[in-house]
Amino acid sequence: MAASTIVLLGTAFLPILGVEFPWVTIHWTTGVVLSVLVIVHIVRSIFFKPWRAMLIGARDMNDALAVLRFNLRLTPREPPMPGKYTLAQKGIHATFALVVLTAVVTGCLMLAKIDTPFWQRNPYFLSEPSWGVIYLLHGFAALSLITLVMLHVYFSLRPEKRHYLRSMFTGTLSADEFGKNHDPQRWRAGDER
Amino acid sequence: MEILRYGRDVYGRETLEGASWDLIPVFAVIGALIIVAHLLYRWLLAPAGR
Repeated sequence: MAASTIVLLGTAFLPILGVEFPWVTIHWTTGVVLSVLVIVHIVRSIFFKPWRAMLIGARDMNDALAVLRFNLRLTPREPPMPGKYTLAQKGIHATFALVVLTAVVTGCLMLAKIDTPFWQRNPYFLSEPSWGVIYLLHGFAALSLITLVMLHVYFSLRPEKRHYLRSMFTGTLSADEFGKNHDPQRWRAGDER
Repeated sequence: MEILRYGRDVYGRETLEGASWDLIPVFAVIGALIIVAHLLYRWLLAPAGR
C-alpha cells in the first residue's frame, strides 16, 4: 500500500510540477492495485486480526491527557504504557483510512472517464457538477496525502520509533522492546491469531 | 492563491473542476512545519524519559 501510494502521488503531482511523462496508465493501474490492497487489508483486519485494537476509546483519551500533562511538566509521573497502539498511531491510521478511502472511492468512479482494455469511457456516467465534486474530493485527498506521508515517514524514522519501522517489515518486536513500550496487560500479544 | 479550479462546460457555464494545484506547496509546508515543530520540541523542551 505504501509503495502504491508513493507511485500514485508521483504520477499525480509530477506532471503538474512540470515533469512530463505518460502518467495516466501508470496512475489508474496503480490505483486499481491500491484499491485491491485496501479491500484485502480490510478483510484481513476484520476476520483475521484483532481489529478492535485500532479503535479509539475513552482510555486512549485518558492516556493522551496523561502524556500531555507529563510533556507539559505538570506531573513528574510517566504516562501509562499503551496497549498495541498509542492514540497517535490510531489517530494517523484513522486519518489515513478516511483519506485513502476517499481517494479510492472517487478514483474508482473516475475510471469511468478513461478507456481501458476492459471498458469504454463514459464521461456521462455522472453529471458535470457531480464530476466536479468527485474531482474535488479526489484532489483534496491527494493533497492531504502529501502531508500525511511526510509525517508518517518522519515519525517512522525517529530514533525512539525505529523498532516500529523494523517491525513493519518483520512483523515482530523483541521482548525487550515490547516490555519498554507496551503494557502486557493491555496487549496480550501471545493471544493474537 | 486559488482553493478551487473552475472551467467552462460545452454551454459556457462555469463548472467546478476540482482542488487548485496552487495548494501543493501549502500541504507540503504544513507537513514540514509540523516536523520542524516536533524536532524543536524534542530538542529543547521534551522531558527526559518516554
